[in-house]
Amino acid sequence: MEKITNFFKTFLLLELVKGMALTGRHFFARKITVQFPEEKTPQGFRFRGLHAQRRYANGEERCIGCKLCEAVCPAMAIHIETEERDDGTRRTTRYDIDLVKCIFCGLCEESCPVDAIVETRVLEYHGEKRSDLYYTKSMLLAVGEKHEAQIAKDRASDAKFR
Amino acid sequence: MINIEIDGKHIEVENGCSVIDAAHQLGIYIPHFCYHKKLSIAANCRMCLVQIEKAPKPLPACATPVAEGMKVFTASEQAVKAQKGVMEFLLINHPLDCPICDQGGECELQDLAVGYGGSASRYQEEKRVVLHKDIGPLVAAEEMSRCINCTRCVRFGIEIGGAMELGQAFRGEHAEIMAFMSDTVDSELSGNMIDLCPVGALTSKPFRYSARTWELSRRKSISPHDSLGSNLAVQVKNNRVMRVLPIENEEVNECWLSDKDRFSYEGLNSAERLTKPMIKQDGKWLEVEWQVALEYVANGLRQIAHEKGAENIGALATPHSTLEELYLLQKLVRGLGSHNVDFRLRQSDFSADNKQPGAPWLGMAVADINLVDRFLLVGSFLRKDHPLLASRVRQATKWGAQVNLIHATDDDLLMPIANKEIVAPTEMATVLAQVLKALATAKQVTLDTNVQQVIQSVTPSAIAQAMADSLASGERVAVFFGNFAQQHPHASQLQLLAQHIAALCGATFGFFGEAANSVGGYLAQAVPFAGTEHGMNASAMLAAPRKAYILLNVEAELDMQNPQQALAAMGAADMVVALSAYKHHATEYADVLLPITPFTETSGTFISSEGRAQSFKGTVQPLGEARPAWKVLRVLGNMLDIPGFDYNNSEAVRDEVLVGTDLPAKLGNVLHGVPAQAATWNIAGLQRVSDVPIYATDAIVRRAASLQKTRDAATPRALMHSVELKKLNLQSGEMIKLTQGHGSARLSVIADDSLPHGVVRVAAGHAVTAELGEMFGSIMVERA
Repeated sequence: MEKITNFFKTFLLLELVKGMALTGRHFFARKITVQFPEEKTPQGFRFRGLHAQRRYANGEERCIGCKLCEAVCPAMAIHIETEERDDGTRRTTRYDIDLVKCIFCGLCEESCPVDAIVETRVLEYHGEKRSDLYYTKSMLLAVGEKHEAQIAKDRASDAKFR
Repeated sequence: MINIEIDGKHIEVENGCSVIDAAHQLGIYIPHFCYHKKLSIAANCRMCLVQIEKAPKPLPACATPVAEGMKVFTASEQAVKAQKGVMEFLLINHPLDCPICDQGGECELQDLAVGYGGSASRYQEEKRVVLHKDIGPLVAAEEMSRCINCTRCVRFGIEIGGAMELGQAFRGEHAEIMAFMSDTVDSELSGNMIDLCPVGALTSKPFRYSARTWELSRRKSISPHDSLGSNLAVQVKNNRVMRVLPIENEEVNECWLSDKDRFSYEGLNSAERLTKPMIKQDGKWLEVEWQVALEYVANGLRQIAHEKGAENIGALATPHSTLEELYLLQKLVRGLGSHNVDFRLRQSDFSADNKQPGAPWLGMAVADINLVDRFLLVGSFLRKDHPLLASRVRQATKWGAQVNLIHATDDDLLMPIANKEIVAPTEMATVLAQVLKALATAKQVTLDTNVQQVIQSVTPSAIAQAMADSLASGERVAVFFGNFAQQHPHASQLQLLAQHIAALCGATFGFFGEAANSVGGYLAQAVPFAGTEHGMNASAMLAAPRKAYILLNVEAELDMQNPQQALAAMGAADMVVALSAYKHHATEYADVLLPITPFTETSGTFISSEGRAQSFKGTVQPLGEARPAWKVLRVLGNMLDIPGFDYNNSEAVRDEVLVGTDLPAKLGNVLHGVPAQAATWNIAGLQRVSDVPIYATDAIVRRAASLQKTRDAATPRALMHSVELKKLNLQSGEMIKLTQGHGSARLSVIADDSLPHGVVRVAAGHAVTAELGEMFGSIMVERA
């Protein structure tokens, strides 16, 4: 029986027809290709892109230097140094994230008790040198300031699942 | 013995043992906050509730004594329900600020909340707020809302520290911990309250917010300060000492640490640290390479030994130096042909040299101090010089021990003193002679003619008689010599009398010892009489100035018995080589500064006053180009072609000193061959009484910023009896000028009627009194 099937297959080009049918289906189907950078793929509110440090509305930085993110970071990408500020609160004197080491797991964000370190939707960033991807406190705060509206909106969307 | 059962495990414990102790013996953990093995039972946190068979309600394990046949369930449904209930109550008012709390990560409440706390709070009402307090530069009480009122700190103050400096005021929800006696906590043991606090209410001020506990690695070390040899856990981050905690050692420091040991680490990171070798050329200090500096030193020493004679070289070291450093220093000096080496910088009477069978030591194990029932303390600022030994004496008084004190000042020892005789230094021998005579009369013993002739002329006072009675009535008696007595100009006469007193009442005679290596210095042979030939002692080396001095860790104006004389001798010398961890006053008189490391950056050994040799390793890398002193001395030895300087590590040096040495046989306090004689004094006018303030004893503490902010480190004032003030027509609070020799100091004078007449109390070891002369003897007082 199998011999007979194979015999017919050799000249009826059944596989070819099947293959071409698949190609044909996709030829007419709706395309998912995005014309980046003019077009962008949709992102969820939990998207984990470039990190940012946030401030409160009154301009005070959120980070209290508890170092939970540094402790939890599986890639050891975070480096923090703290000291007591004049008003008696603990503040960071250094808060560095090495984006080359970072694996974007989101644990820093998860561990932060004050929502200070967050991962934004930003994914288009680059560095010409490795050192360009070593983000310091001021750089992270700048990212936060630029995207605060989006960050706040995303936290609000996520709040009901927490 | 009583048989009980805990969680189905059977154990036999002593009568009177609590359930929690029995459980701990079995290795069963019962959660607790207020219970602490060294403190009394308060049973106020209620965390240790356990179920006990036949008891209607859960009982606190810490306050329930065991009873025969008792069956305890620590993890039954009833027990766990009770514990969870207590935890919920404790968390009602506890702020949820673990991320900003310094205790986070090592917090007993945090740990137990994970096991017993709920995931969310049911409490909706307002939380209690307790205002923060400023209780001094060492202990931070900035977030007293975190306090769970376990009262461990209060009980520590009363029971171990000797004074209730913190207390719990008000009741119920208003109960709060506050400073009771003054605004601040001034105990020299206050840092232990930080360790005891199970939450973040009391935290360390110097350490505040500088690191999180999980970032620190923990390395063992030994305290370089007092003679106890406390075991330290040096906590390190990024090659920097961040804080120091005790390591529990029941035989030494138990679980405590004095503030000096705990907070002195700040001095290690001081800006004054010397990090490069320096040479003075044409009056200017130049930073040079090690090779250059060492060659300069080697050539200089060789030249002086060659041209002026080796006996013109003298070496002085502090007793805070390690055994290895002291040993190599004396080996170097002896290799050059000189025998002038000494570490007993504040001693003034050297007539006991070579008259003792060994190094002066405590005479007993530190732990046995708790068991002594009669003390005679001679010349000791016990609380300030030996905070933890004082605590042990205090424990002994709790069990009825009587403390007899012969001293020149009446500082509060925070313990009951049975009899005290506060006399001028010139009278101390007389008081001892009186006590000895009273004892000899009571025991009907005839002493050897030598001593007999001294005590013949004295008549025991009522106090001396009471002291003799007290000492004679004891079973375990101890006569201890403090630092003051050891520094006394007639120390060996005092010692002779004290040892006869000890012999008459079967007492142990011992020395508290000034510093971490006061015993070790003798074993390292860093004394002029250790070799076959005898050299000059610390005092003689300065009285007859040498051409060259090698200083190890020494700050000449602060560490010496007579700073005036020391500075003059240094100034006149052709060459002064200062091996120092700090860039200090030596820049004025030294020619070479060699940067050496403090105890955290080198390996070494300290031999404590009880004769316990404790070795330690370096905890961090040396700062800058500083190098361990033993290495520096080793290389110098090689450069000077002295044989036997080929050590690969400090352990080899230590082994050369200690292996094959019977350490206990090298210790001995009993004087032989010192003739007893009535002391002669040459006092015109007032005489000086000096203490070395607790935070001025050595180079590291002097630079520990927070310790220097405490009351104990306040600028010294001159203290005098008001009668003496009146004689000089002075008012308390006035500025006076004190003069000794050609140097003077200006201090404010305060009336202190507890002092004997005819004395002025002026601290030594402090920059403001550095121009003065000897720690004892005549001193001129006039209005500034």
